Amino acid sequence: MPGLARPPRLVVVQCPDWSVVAAGAPAAEPAAVLHANRVLARTAAAAAAGVRQGHRRREAQRICPELRIIDHDPARDGREFEAAVRTVREMVPRLETTEPGLLTFPAKGPARYFGGEHAMALRVAELIATSLPAAVAAAGSATSMFGIGIADGRFTAGVAAHDSARHSARRCDQQPTIVDPGLEATRAYLAPLSVATLRDVGGLSAELVDLLHRLGLRTLGGLAALPAPDVLARFGPAGAFAHRIAGGGDDRPPGTAEAPPELCAACTFDEPVVLLDPLVFAAKQLAHELHAQLAANGRVCTRLAVLAETECGERSEHLWYRPNGLSAAAIVERVRWQLDGWIRRPGSGTRSSPGSSPGSSTGPGSGIVLLRLTPDEVRADDGSQLGFWGGRSVADEWAVRTVARVAGLVGDEHVLVPVRHGGRSPGDAYRWVPVDRVDLEADQRLQGVEAPWPGQLPAPSPATVLAEPLPAEVIGATGDVVRVNGRGQLSAVPDSVAVNGREHTPITGWAGPWPLDERWWDPPTHRRVARFQFVTERGAALLAVVENQQWWITAIY
Amino acid sequence: MERGSLHERRERLSKLVPKIAPVTFARDRVLPVTASLEPLLPEAGLIRGSIVGCQGPTALSVALALVAGASAAGSWVAVVGIPSLGLRAASEVGIALDRLVMVAEPARDAGEEPWTNVLSALIDGFDLVVLRADVRAATARRLQSRLQARGAVLVVVGDPGPFSCDVTVTCGPGTWEGLGHGSGRLVQRRLALTANGRRLPRERRLEVWLPGPDGLVAAVTTPTAMPDERPAAFRRTG
Repeated sequence: MPGLARPPRLVVVQCPDWSVVAAGAPAAEPAAVLHANRVLARTAAAAAAGVRQGHRRREAQRICPELRIIDHDPARDGREFEAAVRTVREMVPRLETTEPGLLTFPAKGPARYFGGEHAMALRVAELIATSLPAAVAAAGSATSMFGIGIADGRFTAGVAAHDSARHSARRCDQQPTIVDPGLEATRAYLAPLSVATLRDVGGLSAELVDLLHRLGLRTLGGLAALPAPDVLARFGPAGAFAHRIAGGGDDRPPGTAEAPPELCAACTFDEPVVLLDPLVFAAKQLAHELHAQLAANGRVCTRLAVLAETECGERSEHLWYRPNGLSAAAIVERVRWQLDGWIRRPGSGTRSSPGSSPGSSTGPGSGIVLLRLTPDEVRADDGSQLGFWGGRSVADEWAVRTVARVAGLVGDEHVLVPVRHGGRSPGDAYRWVPVDRVDLEADQRLQGVEAPWPGQLPAPSPATVLAEPLPAEVIGATGDVVRVNGRGQLSAVPDSVAVNGREHTPITGWAGPWPLDERWWDPPTHRRVARFQFVTERGAALLAVVENQQWWITAIY
Repeated sequence: MERGSLHERRERLSKLVPKIAPVTFARDRVLPVTASLEPLLPEAGLIRGSIVGCQGPTALSVALALVAGASAAGSWVAVVGIPSLGLRAASEVGIALDRLVMVAEPARDAGEEPWTNVLSALIDGFDLVVLRADVRAATARRLQSRLQARGAVLVVVGDPGPFSCDVTVTCGPGTWEGLGHGSGRLVQRRLALTANGRRLPRERRLEVWLPGPDGLVAAVTTPTAMPDERPAAFRRTG
């Protein structure tokens, strides 16, 4: 690849099971973090029992019946990771976080300081392990939870870190994988690996990898051996990128540049702020401002420095990296992780390692007066996320912008989007939540735990679900109110219904009672109701419930 | 190749724009609807820039069914002023919930202006806006011209007020099937729809199952019986 600069030598530290570590599960206890019914991360004990990432809940519980299930909480992961890498940041400059559990920094300086790359890798693993929660660290060799890879370029280092994580977990000891510098060594290291690495580490689409596999290109070496123009002609820009990184080439997207220094968004507070929410609110404005500035130049930020400073001069500065570019929502999320991790940290420096500057490894002692977002690396926004078939489209882009604008006009709490919730009542399956609580661009909000909810009414569902049920009166032929006893027996056949004090309408069809006894283990939320469907003479179909002998209309079909 | 300053080149290009701009007919600017509702509407879909009114006791169900086809095809739907919308029913009828946004009607104490801005912004960014709210005549006029410029479709549920609808779909209460006297459950509803409007030379009538047994809209395949000869509305299933 003539004329291209060599990719920088990078260290990638990866903890594939960070979510369980953040949740504080000791390695000896079988536990797993699930998201969308799939195992996201598991402890060493669960791994030994055979639980793998991507297993379904049921599958995981079959393999390991005593498995403890932990809910996924990205904010917790981010906060805890931020706290854990604090000690490393004091030793190493230009540390950047791609996501909780994945850390990257340049190898050159620290390697010399610590006396070689191997020694540095062990030292970094030790530093992270000491700052982990005591329960996790005490249960075994904490350094074996991490994979550390050192190589030229982000992709190769990432592959090495993957490799190292696997070896370290098997040997219960930290085994860093170090690829020798130079293009030849990088190529030789990558050549025998499967093309699936491009998907797992390189972030390329599963379709492309599948296609390569079906065409007989099973290894990275096989792909790299093809002539570059032919790969570009057959597979397009994504294929050309895959070809380049498979051959150990520069994996930075074309057009990546350092950000112009004048580009930054800062906010100073006259009154020091100690609470997280006002800071995040300010960050939201800054993020939108910055995003608008960049978009005006047709650029997107891939690496961002977030700086917070207190009135006593304590600082929290961190680099965040995202290969596809940081959207405004992604920026806000990262600021929240960083500040949450810093503010929640106790003020006394019990865990700070000797030699570190006092105050920087502890939480802020006073309120925050400055918040600054500085893009560190930008690239041309090539709109690569806009798909013509499937994926993100221009309509999505427009709609997401409009939502932000409308939320600015009427307030975040008045703009709502559906989120999967789950439950037996028609109003429980999905809930409306304010738009500022979710990232519209990440469409995971509608994938919930796919529970069967026995006892919910089958389709079709009512088109109108009343937020406040309407009181009703249902009477039998004799004019007495129909009552339902504890065994689900009716005192009379329902004959007519009066909704909300209006006149009675004869009932022409009815079914029920379908009893529902929910949350009996929790007295405050316990509900015991019987449900009915009514069709009135006017043709309206109603969903009614009886609770404590009071009739309510909860939904209209 | 002829070169010039950026400004000059732009100047030359701007002259070409009207010549090469394609002519679009109304039938080309149509958002799709579910196949069973196609016979009801002019051009077999929702014409961009038009206003569709839904009236009658089951107007909300009909409005949801009308926007479902376009939503499934990738359009975003904004719902304004209908906080009681049943999300499960919406998803059953075919609306993609990840492209659905609700704007609750804010307090009107700040006057009509912010409200107009909200609706205009929604029309700018969304293909479909489902609205149940009373607006002033001036607002309605502004929105109507905006709709035509942006190519969105406004679906008004209930009384259209000052809006002049291009198509009005009127629905009756419908007849539910599946429910007996103490037995069965609601399975499907037979609904008679009538469409009137500027682009329809004469009234169109259509009978559909809305919702059908699985929540989707389905065409009624059995021949329509005359209303007074119709069999008993409910059959015993238990």
